[in-house]
Amino acid sequence: MPPIRGWTAQDFQIDPSRPLYEQFVEQIRAMIARGELEPGTRLPSVRETAASLRVNPTTVMKAYQELERLELIVTFRGQGTFVTQAEEAIRLTRRQLAKEAVRRLEETARSIGITLEELWELSREKE
Amino acid sequence: MMAQASGARAAGEKKATAVKCDNVEVAIKRKLILNGISFDIPAGSLTGLLGPNGAGKSTLMRLLTGLLEPDSGRVELFGRPAGTDRLGELSFLPDRGQLPPHLTAGGWLDLAAGIYPDWNREREEELARELGVYRDKKIGTMSRGEEARLQLLTCLAREAPLIILDEPFAGVDMISRERIASAVVAEMADGQRTFLIATHDIREMEQLFDRIVLIGEGAIRGVHDVEELRLGGRSVESCYRDVFS
Repeated sequence: MPPIRGWTAQDFQIDPSRPLYEQFVEQIRAMIARGELEPGTRLPSVRETAASLRVNPTTVMKAYQELERLELIVTFRGQGTFVTQAEEAIRLTRRQLAKEAVRRLEETARSIGITLEELWELSREKE
Repeated sequence: MMAQASGARAAGEKKATAVKCDNVEVAIKRKLILNGISFDIPAGSLTGLLGPNGAGKSTLMRLLTGLLEPDSGRVELFGRPAGTDRLGELSFLPDRGQLPPHLTAGGWLDLAAGIYPDWNREREEELARELGVYRDKKIGTMSRGEEARLQLLTCLAREAPLIILDEPFAGVDMISRERIASAVVAEMADGQRTFLIATHDIREMEQLFDRIVLIGEGAIRGVHDVEELRLGGRSVESCYRDVFS
């Protein structure tokens, strides 16, 4: 099993004018999607995470709860919190992230009055 | 079964109030220092007391410790009036407080362990490791950051439910500030302790606060839940600027 993964404040880019727990959820989710946090990795406890990131423990608790609801992490009583081993949950998250990215691209395309396909073509046109 | 039932009850209960000020006034030499101060701090929270120099932060903290009495209004800790008889329930770090320079850290900690009935030796050792405090070091030879870490250790090694820190970062180097912030957060993770921290270092601390109380010219200028501020797209710093500049 991959070893416990400790965080440092440098692992996260935090915007102080947006809810903090949302940003931790987004960034940990992306780490799991890209395999930087491997399935089965043990995450540090709420107390350890709060201390190493220097954030309120309630924030960490809310982030962990949301990641659990998304089935990306699992807590086993007395053993700790781990990245899910369920390939399906990770695949689903990658698909959601892809959809979100495409939606943002579509917005960009619409803002300059073209479709997503046209945006793609246009970006690949030779000078 | 039992655990489930008590868990459900805890979830339904409203959080207790650790500190309550109701229309508090203080005048010193006929000058009004605090004027109509009213606010609450829920138990288990970390509240920042923010405001410019001379706003009345230290006076307000002295009221909570019972070292100063209000001219009018009420100050309550955990539902009962504040006063010197409540000193056992709170741990106070005064601004620019000094420890005896001729003692070593260990000498001081032994002395403190004898003074405070709620001193926890096991916690003391754990905190000394976390904060990087070395028992052999003489206080008189410590940097400001080292002394600040020892002062925080002195506050946290007690089991008092309310911790009041007045400017714990003033003049403290970055690494010591980070260690102090980490120790504070770790200490509140079990939700048993309530922290009130007066500070200028908003950027360093804003991720730690649940709640902020803004005070200026002796009056409350706002009380905010920090995550609610962020839901509205505001940071603690921008809120502070809106109020005070």
